[in-house]
Amino acid sequence: MRLRRHGQGPSLESSTGIDLAPMLDFVLNLLIFFIITAVFAKEVALSMNRAGGGATAGTAESDSLPISIMANGDIWLDNRVVDVRAVRANVERAHATKPKLGVLVIAQEEAEAGVVIQVVDQIRLAGVDNISFSSAAGTGG
Amino acid sequence: MLARSHSDHEGDDHGIDLAPMLDFVLNLLIFFIITTSFVKETGVVVTKPEAQTAAHKESGNILIAIRENGELWMDRRQVELRDVRANIERMHAERPEDTVVIVADKSAKSGLMAKVMDEVRLGGIKDVSVAAAAPAG
Repeated sequence: MRLRRHGQGPSLESSTGIDLAPMLDFVLNLLIFFIITAVFAKEVALSMNRAGGGATAGTAESDSLPISIMANGDIWLDNRVVDVRAVRANVERAHATKPKLGVLVIAQEEAEAGVVIQVVDQIRLAGVDNISFSSAAGTGG
Repeated sequence: MLARSHSDHEGDDHGIDLAPMLDFVLNLLIFFIITTSFVKETGVVVTKPEAQTAAHKESGNILIAIRENGELWMDRRQVELRDVRANIERMHAERPEDTVVIVADKSAKSGLMAKVMDEVRLGGIKDVSVAAAAPAG
């Protein structure tokens, strides 16, 4: 439709006010730009609090169940080593007795982030949302 | 050219009437302008740990990647740990509603992840979360 007016001279154009075609071109370009730059895929993430240890103190840790993650991947809970799959059951049991319970995940600095995420995932599956994450230096435990 | 068939109409000597299309296109344009958010990609690919309870973050659009070897990447550049805070402060000033997602590699050190979380919080963004992948199947 736009091409047509070049061939037919100015006599036809003058009858209907402003020619919208250049504006439409511009607007379409803007539209295409924003469609291309729009991001629909949002990142999938777990949110967790940051507690103690660091420069920014987190929430109170008065009533929380500590779970330690050692550098070699061992998970300590209630003074014994548990498997990742057993974390959920243990936290569920503690959560049943104390519904307001929070969980404090203490990971050694050398522990892998993947293990931490797995543990946090298991805790969330157990129904506890108040999870704090803390990092401990050293190898003592 | 298609509108020529409606010959009884008085304004048809210009072909299609563009005004309704223009209205529609402008609405689309406004929609995309409003909903667009420029995600600051990290520029590197990391292996994300899997988590079943991971949820979509609606406004998580500052991404900080921690690679296996401890390198930090944000906004397609490699940064040092001490630069994270300044970067976050600048981005927080530009768009205060942005939140941070830390994309840590499965075998990255959790101590570094904690330090990055601290730096981000010092930079003024309190909403920090850790990226995970939805489990396959």
